[in-house]
Order: sequence, then C-alpha cells, then structure tokens
Amino acid sequence: MTDEAHHAPHPTTGQYVKIAVLLAIVTAVEVALFYVDEAVDMAGWDGPLLIILSFFKFVVVIGWFMHLRFERPLLTRFFAGGFVLALGLYGIVVGSFLVGLITR
Amino acid sequence: MAETLEAAEAHADDHGGHGEHESFGIDNRKLGMWLFLSSEFLFFGALITNYMVYGNDTFGSVVPREIYDIPFTSVSSFVLLMSSLTMVLAHHSLSIGDQNGTRTWLLATAMLGSVFLGGQVFEFYEFINVYGMALTTNPASSAFFMLTGFHGAHVAIGVIMLLSRFGMARRQGGLSEKQGMNLELVGLYWHFVDIIWIVIFTVVYLLGAV
Repeated sequence: MTDEAHHAPHPTTGQYVKIAVLLAIVTAVEVALFYVDEAVDMAGWDGPLLIILSFFKFVVVIGWFMHLRFERPLLTRFFAGGFVLALGLYGIVVGSFLVGLITR
Repeated sequence: MAETLEAAEAHADDHGGHGEHESFGIDNRKLGMWLFLSSEFLFFGALITNYMVYGNDTFGSVVPREIYDIPFTSVSSFVLLMSSLTMVLAHHSLSIGDQNGTRTWLLATAMLGSVFLGGQVFEFYEFINVYGMALTTNPASSAFFMLTGFHGAHVAIGVIMLLSRFGMARRQGGLSEKQGMNLELVGLYWHFVDIIWIVIFTVVYLLGAV
C-alpha cells in the first residue's frame, strides 16, 4: 500500500451498502454449499471452498469496513503479524498432536 | 491536580491538540487499538485451535456438531454482518457531519448486536436444556462453549460501548471531532468481533458439521 492509498477517498454510503450486499451473498453461498454437500457428496471440495469464501469475507471487512486499505501500511503489518502468529500457534498445536499420535 | 490537567489540556490545544500524540504518523489511540486487535487474534486463535483439537472428544456423549441449527446460526451471522454495515454508516455519518444519522446507525448497530446475543443465549439454552450439552459435559462441549462464549462476551462489551457512545451523542446533541476518534476505535473493535465470527461460523458450524 502506498502513501497514495493512505490519502485515497473512503467509500460512499452506496458503496458500503454494495459491499454489505456482496458479503450477504457470499454468506448465502456458504450456507448453500453446506446443504449441497449434504445432498450430493462434493468429494471434500466443500471444505476448501468454504475456507476461500470465508477468507474473502474476512479480507473485505478488514479492508473496507475497517478501512485498513486506506491506512498506513504499518497498521497492515501489525495486524497481519497477529494473524500469522495465530496461524503459527495453530500449526504448532496441531503439529505437536500429530507427533504425539505418531510416536504413541 | 485538576489545575495541572487543565494546564496540560490547554498546552495540548495550543499545539494542535491530540494530533501531537502520534507514533509513526498514526494517532496513538488508533495504533494501540490495532495492536490490541492483533493480540486478540492469538486469543481467539488459541480457542479455535482448542475446538479443532477437541471438537470430536465426546466420550460417547452428545456431539456438538450433530446438534447445530445451521439455518438459525446463518440468520445470526447475517445479523452480525449487517451490524458491521450499520457501524460503518454511523462512522461515515459523523465524518460528513450528520449527527442524526450517527445516532440512528449507532442505535441500529447496538440493536443488531443485541439480537445476535439473544440468538446465542437461545442456542445455549437449547443445547443445555434440550440436548443436555453443558460446559463440562465433554471436552468438545467445553471447547465449543469457551469459544462461542468468549466471542459473545466480546459482542456484549461492544454493545455496551456502542450504547455509551449513543448516550453521549444524545446527551450532548452530537459527537465532537475528538469523540469521533473514540467512535472509530469502537467501530474497529466491532468489525473485529464480526471477522472473528466469520471464522467461527465457517470453521465451527459449517466445516464442523460436515
């Protein structure tokens, strides 16, 4: 993100509403995927698809509603740092459980 | 002491007020809030990890993912998602000087947050009294209640902060520019609570129930 992005104008009311409608549609697609998988086995594709859609919503809320894409890049680094640490924590815990299962 | 505080405030006003209190070109309060939210990732990351590890540990008793009411939780998720819209509209209204709009959207956000909380209380009541799944029933239920309970507590704190902003705006006839920063901080907190629910809804409810 450049300094230009920092000074970029924030979205208008109409744009915020459009973003919210998009988020609602993505949520509806997520729920639909859940039921589609119940009716027709998606051979494990539902998991990755749900995670991708969830991550999309996550990024849109942070970028537009929390205005992170209009802020200084330093804030993005701080915030992403916490997220990466949380993912690392998850990896370490799951990894230690897997090692425990293998060596048991 | 009061004189000292007044003198300090006057000194700050002489030098451009709160704009002086910045680090890396960012208002210290905003920087502090982003750092706090970043640390909250670790807090919820630990609870989500805990659920993913123990989510199937039921010792033969009730399994949380078998009793989820997906349509009900989907509506709750939609309500919380829309509260993010009303929150951003409250902040946007203040930025264009629309004090009436700010109050209206603040109250709408607090109401939507309360509806979400009501839904969570109903869900917990059903799990405990209908399905017999309480906090200490099994490791899976403990992990579920710890995760969703702490998220609910965060939502409740957010509702209190929103109502305090609304009360302040009503009493004073509007929020000042300085109070606008506080509203932005409350907004950041509220959106964060929303993104954590986006993760919980997918990982715990949709993926967990597959």
